[in-house]
Amino acid sequence: SSLIPPQHRNTMASKRLLPLSRRAYHSYTHPQPPGPFTAVESSILSAAIPHIPTHGFTHTTLSLGAKDAGYVDASTNLFPKGAFSVVHYHLWSQREALKKHVPRLVGEFGEAGKGTGRKVMALTWERLRGNEKVVHRWQEALAIMAQPSNIPTSISELSSLADEIWFQAGDTSVDTSWYTKRATLSTIYAASELYMTTDRSEGWRDTSAFLERRFEDNMRLGGVVGSVGQWVGFTARAGVNVLRSKGVRI
Amino acid sequence: MNSRSALRPLLRATRFQCLNSPRHFTQNSVAHAESSQPTNHERTTHFGFETVAEAEKEARGKPVLVAGVFSNVAENYDTMNDFMSLGIHRLWKDHFVRSINPGTSTPSSSSQTSPSPGWTMLDVAGGTGDIAFRLLDHATNINASPSSTITISDINPSMLAEGRKRSLTTVYAHSSRLSFLLANSEHLESVSDNSIDLYTVAFGIRNFTDQPKALREAYRVLKPGGVFACLEFSGVTNSLFDAVYKRWSFGAIPLIGQLVAGDRASYQYLVESIEKHPKQEEFRDMIREAGFEVPGKGWEDLTGGIAAIHKGIKPVVKS
Repeated sequence: SSLIPPQHRNTMASKRLLPLSRRAYHSYTHPQPPGPFTAVESSILSAAIPHIPTHGFTHTTLSLGAKDAGYVDASTNLFPKGAFSVVHYHLWSQREALKKHVPRLVGEFGEAGKGTGRKVMALTWERLRGNEKVVHRWQEALAIMAQPSNIPTSISELSSLADEIWFQAGDTSVDTSWYTKRATLSTIYAASELYMTTDRSEGWRDTSAFLERRFEDNMRLGGVVGSVGQWVGFTARAGVNVLRSKGVRI
Repeated sequence: MNSRSALRPLLRATRFQCLNSPRHFTQNSVAHAESSQPTNHERTTHFGFETVAEAEKEARGKPVLVAGVFSNVAENYDTMNDFMSLGIHRLWKDHFVRSINPGTSTPSSSSQTSPSPGWTMLDVAGGTGDIAFRLLDHATNINASPSSTITISDINPSMLAEGRKRSLTTVYAHSSRLSFLLANSEHLESVSDNSIDLYTVAFGIRNFTDQPKALREAYRVLKPGGVFACLEFSGVTNSLFDAVYKRWSFGAIPLIGQLVAGDRASYQYLVESIEKHPKQEEFRDMIREAGFEVPGKGWEDLTGGIAAIHKGIKPVVKS
């Protein structure tokens, strides 16, 4: 660093320590960028996760995680967002865990390109299963996520989840359907997750049925939108032609 | 840096003032003000806009000059702060303490039988006790931690005496929870390694002679997982607001000091020391260099950047 002139040293130091850019897309040729948590934060938060069923998404869980990871109570100062860091870590780690289901689904439904719809439904179901241990506390997490300062992160996690599911299912679309697929999956997932918080059936049977109905609605909705569009177009053209036949210059 | 060109006439006036009326801080008159040029082999540091020797033994070394400033202002320290920040410093200090949230303890099976040990806190350069009393109050009243303790440390005996005087009006008057330590933050010999949960320094670090050394000393005394928290004046982020703020600092504050406390030079030093103190990113990098892990981007701006809270956590070394 003696070769660096003094006036550049500080700016270079701060540039070097900035986190790597968080790409918003997957890449086959570059390694995955690091997640939103540093090593120290991850060690505390991963130790906090097992305490969620007993203590919920609260500051207590965070300090118990700090204790378990070998830190002290004061170390919770590392998390200015408090309990939201626990929620964020849960969302992020569950999304990362989806990868391990992919080989099984490929074996069941076929290689990339085949059975994409069924893979999407299976992956969404696996992600819902990932909430099993904490679902009785999930409404607390939703309340925390709805706080105004946390909304941008929560929405970005939901959209990343939808993207991850479609990507792992083998989606290769490059038109506007890329956006509509992810938007519809986000709404289906959010609705099912909320339904699951009140589900008391054996093995989450009711949630599974709810999820299937939402996917069916989605497919039917696609057809309905197309039909409505066709009808509106036909009626508009017919109306214009009638007016022209009456002498209106349009 | 448009504000710098606006400052040049002011700076020239300051230097002119310095040459003609040398600052009299120490008890003995400083006749050799002209010979304040340090020799080549001595290390120098800044004292406001002046360059002075670091060494303690020099009659015009930085620690002696800083001691002089604070001995003069000890009694009306609060008045001085109120003028410099228009009373907002109280809000800053309240927010600082709340964001640290001292005194929390985790419920565990052992706590059913024995009470939690509470936090061991150290407030450095906190002579008058502003932050220390707030920390104790928060720990006791909000987090129900009557066993949290704090040591107030300061290099200046007058500030520490002022703190002792003020502690008599609090509930911690003669309690074992509050103790006082006369020490230089760069050599905290009586504080052992890995013994402190929370190390705070509020509006003190800009006066330290060797800030990296103080940061390393903070790293040493903190437990693994312990928190370093610093509240200090910093760089205003909006350049228009910055120009107004600098005009206020350099124009009005020394004048108010002269009218209210009769001590223009101390206030001049104080506004200059704010200007010379490293700003947000640079200070965050210094904290990282000392070995701390910083949360998020490393600081929180207060009132547009006039002050900033920097935090760092001492990492746990996994064996």
